[in-house]
Amino acid sequence: MVRFLKPRKPGMVKQSNQQVSQSRESSLPDTSWKEQVLSPDLDTNLAQIKAILDRCSDVMYREFIFAQNEQIRLALIYTDGLTDKEQISEQITKALALEVAMAAPGQEISKSRALEFIKQRGLCVNEIKQTDKIREIIQAILSGDSVLLMDGYATAIINGTRGWASRAISEPEAEPTVRGARDSFVETLRTNTALLRRRISSPNLKIEVFKLGEVTNTEVAVAYIEGIVNEKLVAEVKSRLQRIKVDAILESGYIEELIEDHPWSPFPTVNHTEKPDRAAAMLLEGRVAILVDGTPFVLTVPNLFVEHLHAAEDYYERFIFTTAVRVIRFFSAFISLTLPALYIAAVSFHPELLPTTLLLSIAGQREAVPFPVFMEVLVMELTFETLREAGIRLPRPLGQAVSIVGALVIGEAAVRAGLVAAATVIVVAFTGIASFTFAYSASIAFRLLRFTLMFLSAAMGLFGLITGVALIGIHLCSLRSFGVPYLSPAVPMTGTDLKDVVFRAPLWAMFTRPRLIARQNQERQEQNLKPAPPETRPRG
Amino acid sequence: MLEQGKIDSKQAILLLISLVLPTAILTAPAITVKQAAQDAWLSIIVATMAGLLIAALVTGLSLRFPGKTLLEYAEEILGRLPGKMVGLLYIWWFLHGNALILDEYASFLCSALMPDTPVIVFFVFVTVVAALAVYSGLEVLSRFNQLFLPLVLGLLLVVFLLAAKDMEVTRLLPVFDKDAAAILKGAVIPASWFGEIVIFALLIPFLDRAEEAPRVAVTAILICGLYLLICILVVVMIFGPHVSARWIFPTFNTIRVVSIANFLERLESIAIAVWMFGGFAKIGIFYYAAALSSAQWLGLKDYRPLVAPVGVVLVALAALCRNIVELLNFLATAWPPYALGLFEAGIPLLLLVVARARGKGGRGA
Repeated sequence: MVRFLKPRKPGMVKQSNQQVSQSRESSLPDTSWKEQVLSPDLDTNLAQIKAILDRCSDVMYREFIFAQNEQIRLALIYTDGLTDKEQISEQITKALALEVAMAAPGQEISKSRALEFIKQRGLCVNEIKQTDKIREIIQAILSGDSVLLMDGYATAIINGTRGWASRAISEPEAEPTVRGARDSFVETLRTNTALLRRRISSPNLKIEVFKLGEVTNTEVAVAYIEGIVNEKLVAEVKSRLQRIKVDAILESGYIEELIEDHPWSPFPTVNHTEKPDRAAAMLLEGRVAILVDGTPFVLTVPNLFVEHLHAAEDYYERFIFTTAVRVIRFFSAFISLTLPALYIAAVSFHPELLPTTLLLSIAGQREAVPFPVFMEVLVMELTFETLREAGIRLPRPLGQAVSIVGALVIGEAAVRAGLVAAATVIVVAFTGIASFTFAYSASIAFRLLRFTLMFLSAAMGLFGLITGVALIGIHLCSLRSFGVPYLSPAVPMTGTDLKDVVFRAPLWAMFTRPRLIARQNQERQEQNLKPAPPETRPRG
Repeated sequence: MLEQGKIDSKQAILLLISLVLPTAILTAPAITVKQAAQDAWLSIIVATMAGLLIAALVTGLSLRFPGKTLLEYAEEILGRLPGKMVGLLYIWWFLHGNALILDEYASFLCSALMPDTPVIVFFVFVTVVAALAVYSGLEVLSRFNQLFLPLVLGLLLVVFLLAAKDMEVTRLLPVFDKDAAAILKGAVIPASWFGEIVIFALLIPFLDRAEEAPRVAVTAILICGLYLLICILVVVMIFGPHVSARWIFPTFNTIRVVSIANFLERLESIAIAVWMFGGFAKIGIFYYAAALSSAQWLGLKDYRPLVAPVGVVLVALAALCRNIVELLNFLATAWPPYALGLFEAGIPLLLLVVARARGKGGRGA
């Protein structure tokens, strides 16, 4: 037998695993409290919580006495910075320590009635919840709620007092539009769900919240419209989310990478948007949105390839213009994938592809160039990619410096010095510009594959290029996103859905939702919505 | 089931077009015109009729055994051993036929694009692309075909339109210059191309609506026939029968003459590039047929382990042929009795007759 194919001895593996887990356990803090419940004694509870939240300087403890019974000691615990301080002092401490006396003047509330009384009449907070689990209490404190403990009760009241400094809703940076809503998602989950709810005020918009990340306990919301969405899809999304067992979710990208269908593909099979109107449109077509606390990017699934070539604005501008723009976008996608490779193939293998005068002009420019055309294009492409990366990474005020260096020094000077042909610069520049016309996530895939095609093209000309395109085509055909073929509705073709691929049908003609996504509820609107002046409008 | 995927009728039609058209359009005009001169278009009509008959035969046979492929029902009809023999023959034919197609395709690409590159390079790369498509399954293969075949068909129409100004209808005259025998002789080779539709017998179980199989096959044959007819008419109208017959790839030369306003000219490279997708698809379908039927013949649960070995055999078989002239000679003389006589009409007819005689199969038995 071939020795190296054999798996390592199972005993060895186990042993090393045990060692690792042992050493990890000894260094980890005690987690036994996760299963424990409160005791009736306030001091014990406080001591335990303080022990758990030891060295957490942002957690505040406020002990005070209930206004109507000096015997009843209360304690309030909250995290400074995550809570609305005014709300806490007005609605909890002031209310319980002072104002509650007005609710039942002169009455002494016995210890046994105190809990009910405080819950019913004492607290002025809108959102309260009762629990006795230490785990829930700690979670509540750390996510911005405040916890009220009472002496003599083995239970705590969690008050919804979240309120932290968050970025204001601003214009979308990654998906700018000329026409359309100007707001964008922010880093706070509640604000984001509110942005969705404001657009879809229907009881059918369901927003379910999960906690993911063993350490970060990040809130992740799954939003969908019941009655439009395919229930199986929702179940699938939830089950994929529940599979995630990681320490941290810091951005929706974490989720994307952990739930996508084809982890090895360069193409994204989960879409993301920072525009609430776009997310709402996705939900209305039967997709599921995944909102993650801490990031303005909302994921939507299932994702089709064409989505990356569409923009939110496509549905706000008139359909004739939109269709024309989409033709440009599809053409740009093609250009950004193949133009440098085509150029290499044409110049080095198939000069007959070019008209004679153009060929002569390129040959003239290339006369002094010391490199083969492939090297020339490769170097220029890499330069362009470097400039682009620098443009993203560098501090804002330096932006102009880079564009001057990029445009003047590299473009102009390199041509003057005879290092590259002007035609090459034009090709590379046009390719770069073309890749900005559609969604960034897809353009990354195109950028990567462009280099592969350039290599193939340099090796085997047009044949290599077409072979590469065919391989990419086969790959795209084999992709699925949450059960929906990636290239649909074009391939496999669903006739009615072709209304929204390159051609964008007028809104009054879009009767149906995408067939493969909203399987059960197809009808979007009435059929006779085409506007017309009154005299020509059909009666009835 | 070996194949989990399902394809719809539209995809099936496009697959069958890819099964016939890409190579037929390349070499059929020269071979047909050689026999029937300017009456070649009549040959194509006759060949289309023959294609329809074969399509009817194959779909009729397959529909008697729903859910079964050619190899499976061959065993049911003829018994285990003779059935296995027939299966083996078909596997050979899929392999050999594909090797010839690959050879034709690669030689053409080689001579048209990169004459200095050894043709084996083309064999290998084309086979790798086809292997990936086959490995990904029938669904992917048919989606790939659905993605690119419309481009091929559209481009051909555009080229024929652009070439219109060089056409001369009088070059088709006199009609019926040759006798019926010559026309029939000219029809034999295109008929053997149409007959490749017999591979449909392997795909029918994977249609999502198998009962539409006859309609699918007939539509595909008619579209192919129409394209070939137009192609031959265009070629003859531009070059006349004598010049056309002497070329190896007259359709290609047609594209070459297109020249509009000194700008739209020398389209042949673009045309070849687009047409290449058709070739990938055609080789992919034959490849798939060979891999699937081998797996069925061996009783495997999955055909995927066979994709690589089949590919190697394919390249080796294709490399056996020495040059394009020899290949075309083979296609013109030995191919019709071998393919048309035996695999496309002979065995299916035999199967149908025996099935009827023994009363096997569901419908009409």
